Parts: sequence; C-alpha cells; structure tokens
Amino acid sequence: MSVEITGDVADRLAAVGALRRLADRLEDTTVEEAMRTGWTWPQVAEALAVTRQAVYKKHAQRLIAAGVSLRRRTG
Amino acid sequence: MSSFLSQILAEAAEQARTDGSTTIEAHHLLLALAHDGAAAGLDHATIRAALDREFTHSLAAAGVHLTNDLPPATPTDTTPHLGATAKAAIERAVTAAHHIRDTTPAHLLLGILQTPAGTVPRALHLAGINRDTLTAAVRRETNP
Repeated sequence: MSVEITGDVADRLAAVGALRRLADRLEDTTVEEAMRTGWTWPQVAEALAVTRQAVYKKHAQRLIAAGVSLRRRTG
Repeated sequence: MSSFLSQILAEAAEQARTDGSTTIEAHHLLLALAHDGAAAGLDHATIRAALDREFTHSLAAAGVHLTNDLPPATPTDTTPHLGATAKAAIERAVTAAHHIRDTTPAHLLLGILQTPAGTVPRALHLAGINRDTLTAAVRRETNP
C-alpha cells in the first residue's frame, strides 16, 4: 500500500485520531474473530506484540459477555 | 449533577459503546442531544453521516481509503468514561449556565459547538453546516 500524506496540519492531526480509531476498531473486530475461530490469548498477544495480560484485560470481558468460548492455551 | 446531564451522559455512553469507543467524546454528546431531539434541528442521521464523512476524509489525509465497512465488533460491556473533548464541552456548558444544576440542553450544545478543533467542527464543516450561525442561534436560546 502506498501512503501519501496530504492536507494541512488540521487534516493531518485529524488523520492521527482517525487512524487510532480505525486501529482500535480493527483490533476489536479481529481479536473477536480470532477468539471465535480458536486462537488462544497467548497467540493473539504474540500477534499484536502485547502482553497476554494486556490483551485479556482489554477484550476478555466483552467477549465473555458476547458468549465467545475462550481458550487459554493450545493443545 | 443535573438530571438532564445524567440522562444525556447515559445516552452519550450508549452512543460511544455503539461506536466501539471506550471514551465518551464531544461528538457522542452531540449524537445524544440529537437522539433526544435537542440539537437545534440537527437530526441523529445527519450528524452520524457527517461524522462518518469526517472519518473517511481524515483517513484520506493519511492516504488510507476504506473500500468496505469493517465487520461490526461486539461493543464493550463496560461503561465508557468521559474523554477530554466531552469534559471540555461540559465545562464550557456549565460555565455558560453559571451552575451545573442550571445547565440545559442548549448550554451543552453551545459547549459542544465551541469545540475549537477536531471531529465536531470538521464534521459540521464537511456537512456544510455553518457553526458560527448555529452557535449564535443557540446562544440566543440560552440568553432569551
């Protein structure tokens, strides 16, 4: 993907906020998809380059409430 | 806190949750006011469309073009907390009303419209809504 930064300072500052929102949204949807398809917390944490505790704290409550069956480890 | 503010914060939290946001921002307060028919004639769908357009426009400034919608994520079941832009809008509203118990929907709308930069002014501008005209009209409503 080629990325061309355009616009004035206000546009570029707004772009930072929009990219953060997009990244958060993409993380929410993709972590949910991963956990629904059998990934484990350590695998998701590794893929996101964050700690297991961080990914669990951020997503577990939401996914448990949604009825997603969560796996703690492989095997 | 006034009962109006408690009620609008609960609705704004719902708007934030639907948005997949862990914080309530000024644009969620605006959506909540519109949901309650208290956004100076701006309806919820108009504001939602303006916010979506602002998001697309801002991403484009970074060279990112979404060609399809992201699949919906299960919203957080925790209550979103007040973000910086919503706090600032509420502070402006309370200052304009002189006291928290006297804060009305018009005061809150004024506080939101006075957001100096970022999502709300950009979304209104892109939707062709004149913020100065709207602000003046709302200000008249707060000082009859």
